[in-house]
Amino acid sequence: MNNKKSTADPDNSIKSQEGADSRRSFFKRFGLVGAAAAAGGAAIYSGYNYEETKPNRDMVKVLTADNKLVEVPRDQIKDVKVDVARMTKQGREGLAGHRWVMVIDLAKCRNARKCIQACQGAHHLRPYEYHINTLTMQESENTAPYYMPKPCQHCDNPPCVAVCPVDATFKRQDGIVLIDNERCIGCRFCVAACPYSARMFHWEEPLVVEGDKGKEYNIELNVPQKKGTVSKCLFSADRLREGKLPYCVSACPNGVYSFGDENQDSVTNGTTKETHRLSELLRDNGGYQLMPELGTKPRVYYLPPKNRLFEFKEESPIANEKV
Amino acid sequence: MLTRKMIDKLMKRIYLLLFVLSSCALAVSAQEWIVPAENGAKLSTFAFTDSTRTAGGNLFNLNCKSCHGDPGKNNAVKLVPPPPDPASLQMQKNSDGAFFYKVSVGRGLMPSFKNTLSATDTWKIISYLRGFNDKYVQVLAKQLAPGISLEQVTLLLTWNKEKKQVQVAVSSLKEGTRQPVAGAELKLFAQRYFGNLQVDEARATDSQGVALFNFPATLPGDSTGMVQLLVKPTDETAFGETKTLAALEIGVPTYRPPLNEHRALWNVNQKTPIWLLLTYVFSVLTVWALIVYVMLQLRLLFKSGEENDPDKQNI
Repeated sequence: MNNKKSTADPDNSIKSQEGADSRRSFFKRFGLVGAAAAAGGAAIYSGYNYEETKPNRDMVKVLTADNKLVEVPRDQIKDVKVDVARMTKQGREGLAGHRWVMVIDLAKCRNARKCIQACQGAHHLRPYEYHINTLTMQESENTAPYYMPKPCQHCDNPPCVAVCPVDATFKRQDGIVLIDNERCIGCRFCVAACPYSARMFHWEEPLVVEGDKGKEYNIELNVPQKKGTVSKCLFSADRLREGKLPYCVSACPNGVYSFGDENQDSVTNGTTKETHRLSELLRDNGGYQLMPELGTKPRVYYLPPKNRLFEFKEESPIANEKV
Repeated sequence: MLTRKMIDKLMKRIYLLLFVLSSCALAVSAQEWIVPAENGAKLSTFAFTDSTRTAGGNLFNLNCKSCHGDPGKNNAVKLVPPPPDPASLQMQKNSDGAFFYKVSVGRGLMPSFKNTLSATDTWKIISYLRGFNDKYVQVLAKQLAPGISLEQVTLLLTWNKEKKQVQVAVSSLKEGTRQPVAGAELKLFAQRYFGNLQVDEARATDSQGVALFNFPATLPGDSTGMVQLLVKPTDETAFGETKTLAALEIGVPTYRPPLNEHRALWNVNQKTPIWLLLTYVFSVLTVWALIVYVMLQLRLLFKSGEENDPDKQNI
């Protein structure tokens, strides 16, 4: 017992010694930790301050919807998902209160092919895939040849829409006939039904695959294009929504195209930006439609190739034809 | 039958005709582009500086380069007649006003830019082209009239009920009081979806500073007949780019139903033509009725067979 006690005492003394030691060390440690915390806090604060005020913070220039250039920090940018369902819905409805018409003046076409290039650029098509094409025309042996741009006629009585079994192609309230490539099953009934050969079929993978990866489908642009579906002229429905003239119309250097609203009785020339009364333009120049006898009621009008501005440089299309 | 002689004679005539025609064409292409004296004497109201030259260069690249090429590089598109190089002497000997006139009005293959370029933009392009001429010294236009500053010109657009015309009153602030501006030529436009449609010809203000425009009775407005009108001076260089907008209820009230509203074969299911709907429903019902009838008859046959079966009767 004694032994035990005697051994216990020094033990106690050691413990008390240790206790004093620990208090000291506690204060020591506390001081150290406190200092470290203060230093760390100051460092973080100064870092934060620096981040806030440093001039070359990682900023990104962004163009807002109302066309203003603003700068925002890169880390605060959030991805906004395009609402495809809403886009498809408004694309199916069309623009209220309008009836789009196109007037093509054959006297002014010199086959510059700028319309075709602008169209193919916008809709990601190959040089041999046409939404609009300029044809070389000659009615008979003794009549003069001319160039004829031919887009989709956007008929008011569209045979292509009537034959579609899946409601993929449809007519909108503003007169445009569009295709929903997400619905199209590639049966090509519409291609066969169109008397103007306005439709094309994507036999190959689309031209732009890498660039369009992850891009949401825009029904008013038909981009990204889809293999195994039908595509055609869209009257640049996406541009009309912005109040701009179609791609082909604005690209023409020779004033061939006029585009406008039948409800406003006016068309605007894409080259000169001159606006005319539609009724007067058609009346004064003998405007006509393609194959009206089919009852398709096209929305594209042609002005005859009278007093052509340019020579027809190529060989006449039917000169060597044997009848 | 055409004899050899006749053909020869005909050919001679054709050659002669071709010769006359081609010489005519040459004469036309070589014809001087005559600019009316008053247009030729027009001058810019602002001085040509480096900033106007830069802006003009951009506008030139957008609107002119596709045919005229780069000034001084002789790389114009080969058209007939060829578009001249803007840095060449042939172009530079034009007066500022002549330049302005030719760009605005156009001729033959050279399109008119009066609707594409504003007066200021046209002058900026001229300032860019003058940069290729070392000998050029600019002469500035005098102000419109003493005492009138360009900012103080106002245009008032109203509908004159008595005369049934659109009335535009032009006035300017002169020594603190409003004074009518006489002899100012104005253009009236109706705003359309893609551009402005000019209504009536350009009209000049009378001594009261008032110009009257005839408004076509057939021009469509919106559903209430409202038409957005725009009036601006023809000579933007002298008056500045002042303009006034006003909505007047003078158009033909226009409402046209959506094009996909009526029932048609091509329309959506809800808009199926009645005849098609009835024919389809009737045909389907007929076929089903036929099937049911056949089944019934078969059942009756089976039943009567069962009743008349001698084996079953014995049991």
